[in-house]
Amino acid sequence: MVLWTIFIIAAVLVIIFIYYYNRFAILGNRIDNSLAQIDVQLKKRADLVPNLISAVKGYMKHEKSIMTNVTEARKALLSAKDMPSKIKAGDNLQTALKSIFALAENYPNLKANENFLQLQQELSAIEDKVAYSRQFYNDNILDFNNSIKIFPGKLFASLFNVKGRPYLEIKESERAVPKVKFE
Amino acid sequence: MMSERISFYDQIRNNKIKSVLLISLIIIVFFILGYFVSYAFTPDYFFIIMILSIIISIFYVVIGYYKSDKIALASVNAKPALRSEYSQYYHIVEGLTIASGIPMPKLYVMNNEQINAFATGRDPKNSVICVTTGALKNLNKQELEGVLAHELSHIANYDIRFMTLTAVLVGMIAIIAELFLRSFWFRGSSDRDNKGNMILILIGIVFAILAPIVVRLIQLAISRKREYVADASGVKFTRYPKGLADALRKIEKDHPTENKKINKAVAPLFISDPFKRKIQGLFSTHPPLTERIRILERM
Repeated sequence: MVLWTIFIIAAVLVIIFIYYYNRFAILGNRIDNSLAQIDVQLKKRADLVPNLISAVKGYMKHEKSIMTNVTEARKALLSAKDMPSKIKAGDNLQTALKSIFALAENYPNLKANENFLQLQQELSAIEDKVAYSRQFYNDNILDFNNSIKIFPGKLFASLFNVKGRPYLEIKESERAVPKVKFE
Repeated sequence: MMSERISFYDQIRNNKIKSVLLISLIIIVFFILGYFVSYAFTPDYFFIIMILSIIISIFYVVIGYYKSDKIALASVNAKPALRSEYSQYYHIVEGLTIASGIPMPKLYVMNNEQINAFATGRDPKNSVICVTTGALKNLNKQELEGVLAHELSHIANYDIRFMTLTAVLVGMIAIIAELFLRSFWFRGSSDRDNKGNMILILIGIVFAILAPIVVRLIQLAISRKREYVADASGVKFTRYPKGLADALRKIEKDHPTENKKINKAVAPLFISDPFKRKIQGLFSTHPPLTERIRILERM
């Protein structure tokens, strides 16, 4: 009888250990996966830049410096190695792109260009997607950090030596909602 | 009036618990009904009938479960949305799937002037979102995003599966109760052997009359609860309650038109009641829009 009790308690303990070990692993994987999603969106943004440049080039002959800015920002993004620098380069590219779109207001012919409009819409959608992928990343960090800070998870986290992870900082300007409106 | 901020996480948790309670109640009603039916007819074959009815009902549920999305889409005459034609619709849903981490649903459009939308399917991997042309035309980007986030959270919260199963169960109880009551027209009184049995049969009849009504009320209560949850978790994805609140305000002002094309059975699927029934109460498929807007404004 005593033997059985010990056996059952041990079995329950093992199950609880496995549960928490897997839980931390799953939540951690989710974070890595959502980080990859940010990367995918940044890459897509970079891929669209050459198309935009070639669509705009013919119209904006006198705006060399802005073109160079965009090309440089794209290069910086593609050569960035770690995530923080990628995200920073992605922000810079977005700023550079915004100045192109602001300038395009002065070129009625360009604004009427079907190809340009489509790229503009595409890039604006990517801007949203980048913001969403960061939000999802932070949501996953929240779940992970909650799971290791709330009892009894806290106990197992210190046992398995699992540490909380930092949030991605989102610039205040990017949280401002109504962005571009397309009809 | 208290107007503290409502945490959407709490809102989701609360409503999940209530919904589990409600669906358990439906299943209990189902078994009590099954008990009366089999007892009233053939007490000797009680177990065989119970087992048979369980097998038949599982069969019925499985078919309803796998075919529900196709039935719903066909009944409103929805067409698949082309990417080239509806690029903004696609962009918004893609953004929201990134925010929620669920797979991309299939997108459909139905030709209707009303502002409305629904989601269906059986799980996030096999899901469909459908919006009206009226919604695509009359809502701006933030409003459309709010509405689509609401639909996507019906998918993420497994509401689409839950509502399908509830609808199937409710339908089944209605059918059994109907069959049970009708069968008395064809029965003689020869087999009524004693008074005790008679009383039990009478209770059974009353129960068979009440069960479909009670169960329908439960289904509607679940449906209304789920709308609040979807509002809350939709905001979790967009982080912008105003978008959905503005969209609901537009829906409120929308002129009610005749909706002959929409089958009454699919009404609970939509973001707002397509029939615009004015009276709110136990028989409403949706909670009042003003109440939903009020809650969204407090988030």
